[in-house]
Amino acid sequence: MARKIMRVTRTGGFLAFVFPAFLLVCLAFYIPFLMNAYYAFTDWNGIQRAAKLNGLANFSELLQDTDFFNSVLFTLKFAVGYIALSNAGAILIAVILNRKLRAANAIRAALFIPYILSLVIVGFIWNFILGAGFQSLGELTHLAVFRADWLGDLSLVPWTVISVSVWQSLGFYVLIYHAGLQAIPQEIYEAALLDGAGPSTKFFKITLPMLAPSITSGMFFSLAASIRVYDVIVSLTRGGPGRATSSVTFDIYTEAFSHNRYGYGTAKSLVLLVVVMAFAAVQLRFMKSREVEA
Amino acid sequence: MKRFRNLLLEVFLVALALGFLLPVIVMLYNGFKPYSEIMSNLLAFPRKATMDNFVGVWRDMNVPALFLNNLVITAIGVVGIIVFSSMAGYKLSRTRTRYSWALFLFFILPMLIPFQTIMITVLKLAKTLGLSNSVLGLGFQYWGFGVPLAVFIYHGFVKTIPRELDEAAYIDGVTEFQGFTRVIFPLMAPMTVTIMVIDVMWIWNDYLLPLVMVNSNKSTRTLTLAVYSYFGQYVSNYGYAIAALVIAVAPSILFFLVLQRWIVKGVVAGAVKG
Repeated sequence: MARKIMRVTRTGGFLAFVFPAFLLVCLAFYIPFLMNAYYAFTDWNGIQRAAKLNGLANFSELLQDTDFFNSVLFTLKFAVGYIALSNAGAILIAVILNRKLRAANAIRAALFIPYILSLVIVGFIWNFILGAGFQSLGELTHLAVFRADWLGDLSLVPWTVISVSVWQSLGFYVLIYHAGLQAIPQEIYEAALLDGAGPSTKFFKITLPMLAPSITSGMFFSLAASIRVYDVIVSLTRGGPGRATSSVTFDIYTEAFSHNRYGYGTAKSLVLLVVVMAFAAVQLRFMKSREVEA
Repeated sequence: MKRFRNLLLEVFLVALALGFLLPVIVMLYNGFKPYSEIMSNLLAFPRKATMDNFVGVWRDMNVPALFLNNLVITAIGVVGIIVFSSMAGYKLSRTRTRYSWALFLFFILPMLIPFQTIMITVLKLAKTLGLSNSVLGLGFQYWGFGVPLAVFIYHGFVKTIPRELDEAAYIDGVTEFQGFTRVIFPLMAPMTVTIMVIDVMWIWNDYLLPLVMVNSNKSTRTLTLAVYSYFGQYVSNYGYAIAALVIAVAPSILFFLVLQRWIVKGVVAGAVKG
């Protein structure tokens, strides 16, 4: 009896802490998402009042949609490059900044600034740099880097999109790892120093393992950002040349709002999400299993 | 030797940061150039700096009113996100049942949903709930959109707070909630500050959600929306557009510089001894 009361109050406590946030997430994401899912089974064009049900027609069309599969492929390519570069770069910078450099605060702020500039400005800046900027630099220095066609060459343009994305968000990841580094107790390093550990031993045997929770976060955030990548593509390449840099989100958006096929676009987003969620759950399980509790 | 290496690293990172900011710096000093100079050479420094663009923007835009809208939206949003996420993240991290992992996934998987794919029904729901076309309503909406990332960060961090502190917090005959606010929440300060920084930067400078929710009425517009309409209108006058952008972004950057000093070391490390 007493135990039962214990359990009830404990469950009550759990609900009181978790339920408000649960409700908020439902209102912001899950309810709109489910309301939206209905359109995946219709031929709605996004404008007219009534949507007509058309069963699984959208999904069977999807199976033969090479544009969609190419977008998935590009998104995968993007994800691999973006996740690797932004996390490795951010860990390195955060660790160096953690050595109490005088300019550390200013540098972190500087790296963060591109993160808050959105769509219009990023596009404006980079179209200018890659166009007129590189042209005059090329004439000045005769370097091949500046003469390459970074927005037109099919083999280069994915790297352009990845680089600009890393440029825009690196400061965010530096901040995540900076905060993670602050949670590593100094005593461990002192003990390691007594044992005669060198800098690389300290980095690989202490810093990296102790950063595991932050690495889980960084990996997941960058995965999520890769799935959602849209702004940089709209402002830089509009998916081109051809469809070379069309990401899934860009493809879905174009389908729903430019081709006026909202129902079909929604079917795509539904399929995408189911697949990605499965991937993410596996990735998180794996990463979490490598973390240690203090 | 160590000092020298640190200096070398510092020089390298300062150079990197400058390289990162170069495009922004170029844009910035163009804000101080008259129109003709911008057009003739975008890269050149201003021959003599002028405040005309800023004065013009200040006259054109109702900056104080827009600023107030931003402030209200950001304050409501960030406070709500911190309160609800810290509670949920803490409790989820401390509870080990079959369901807590599933629940955790439920909280964070929305980060994988591109906003563009659900914005039509988000707007529909906001209209039903009476949250659209209102500054306060937009602030409330950020609660839900900000929870996943914040819960994720808190959830990971709580593991570094020893469980002994929970027990100490509850032994003194206070309610669970009091124990949380008095002992646990202060210990999460580094993460709270990190989340505040990320969310202030995001909400203050957000474009798409305000565009969908509050753009139809001049009195509910945000600073960012006003700036982007500038970029559309004055496509030929970069000077004005850049000046407007600087006015809009500057407060959030100041906030970043002030707050990041609070992401400090050792708050938790020193909490338990022996």
